[in-house]
Amino acid sequence: MMGGSKGEKPVLFENGKRIDGRGAGDLRPIKIVCRVLNDADGSAYIEWGKNKILAGVYGPRECIPRHDQSLYRAVVRCRYNMAPFSGMEEHGRSGPNRRSKELSKVIKEAFENVIISENFPKTQIDVFVEVLQSDGGTRCAAVTAAAVALADAGIPMKDLPCAVAVCKIDGKMAVDPGKEEDNFGESDMPIAFSPRNGEVLLYQMDGLLTREELAEGFALAKEASAKIREIQADAIRKVYDEPKEERFLTIIKE
Amino acid sequence: MEKESRIVFPGELVSDRPDRIAYAYIDKGKTYSTVVGLFSDGKLVPLEGPYEPLPDDIVVCIISEVRFSGYSVDINCPYVSFLSSREIRERYEMGDAIVARIVKVDEVKNIDLTDARKLPQGSLVKVSSVKVPRIIGKKNSMIDTIQSSTGCQVTAGRNGYIWVSGAGDFSLAQKAIRMIEAQAHTRGLTDRVASFLKSGKSR
Repeated sequence: MMGGSKGEKPVLFENGKRIDGRGAGDLRPIKIVCRVLNDADGSAYIEWGKNKILAGVYGPRECIPRHDQSLYRAVVRCRYNMAPFSGMEEHGRSGPNRRSKELSKVIKEAFENVIISENFPKTQIDVFVEVLQSDGGTRCAAVTAAAVALADAGIPMKDLPCAVAVCKIDGKMAVDPGKEEDNFGESDMPIAFSPRNGEVLLYQMDGLLTREELAEGFALAKEASAKIREIQADAIRKVYDEPKEERFLTIIKE
Repeated sequence: MEKESRIVFPGELVSDRPDRIAYAYIDKGKTYSTVVGLFSDGKLVPLEGPYEPLPDDIVVCIISEVRFSGYSVDINCPYVSFLSSREIRERYEMGDAIVARIVKVDEVKNIDLTDARKLPQGSLVKVSSVKVPRIIGKKNSMIDTIQSSTGCQVTAGRNGYIWVSGAGDFSLAQKAIRMIEAQAHTRGLTDRVASFLKSGKSR
């Protein structure tokens, strides 16, 4: 059993249905709103199940401190932060901790591979991700939202990355684990894709999987990533279908 | 604008052949977009993006620092641009707005300016640099419309800084510019802006 689990393990997979009634290959409902922050160069807000995440992109701008800047490319930076009120468990004070440092690093590295940073020497591109409410799978939602924010900022990218996790629950592979499935499942594997050519930009695994399970999970994730890419594209398209002069945080109506 | 253009996203295929298209890249003999943009007739126009300085761009700039041999100026991009005192006969102070031409951009994006001219008393409107061609319009049509109906003098820099001067209705001109920025990708904009300006003037 994986870390962070408390209390009795519920039945996660029964009669082809998962704890929240989804099938193995079903995603939670995803809504993305692009361009929500007034002062950011690009921004996006995502509601992925119960996850609520805000992503903002600033830059390219002058790289500070100067000794970090490169004459060859822009430095990509990422700050993933969980709000202290974001989860059921205590997240304590906001600010960098072991978990958020790790996620900042992996998200940054995922985007370093798609951003064409050679166009902007001596600059930095900042990606800020604020988790307002978390329910498992925040890193995938964060990558998905940040990709939309980067595209909104007009930063040249080779692709619009998207991410999704797969898990093993009660011996079955399923896509997009929620909080219970994350805590009580046997394994959890977040993957970020470059959907154009199927390149993997982020790949982590918690728990154990056999080779066959891994292959099955990978295929499930890839299938789901195509759906996510569509939602991302729709969110960006909406900005131009319904042009607004002022940007503001729009609360998604049910 | 005659042919229907479609919106493309980063990583979307724009050509089956390795074509040299601005804002696109080539991978394995095919061409893909790098930005969110409008694609039509082998041309990709980005809908959003930072200003990328190029030689011969006319830019509106703000003097940010007076130095020994010239001026450091802010041209709405992350790089330092320099206007040498040799290039100019006027003297500027920090905060002055000028219009200038870019002479040279080197590989680490040091920018040299020339042909500077001080702008009259006015206000700055910042827009996204990719929308500037639309604000200028075909043969200055859009700027002419704004100028004639607001009485303002409008100087559009390629970098996304728009200087609005003169005794006209500044807030109306600003609203018109904001409107163009928000709807730059749509058609028939000149007419809509003209009718907006007309209705704004009667108020």
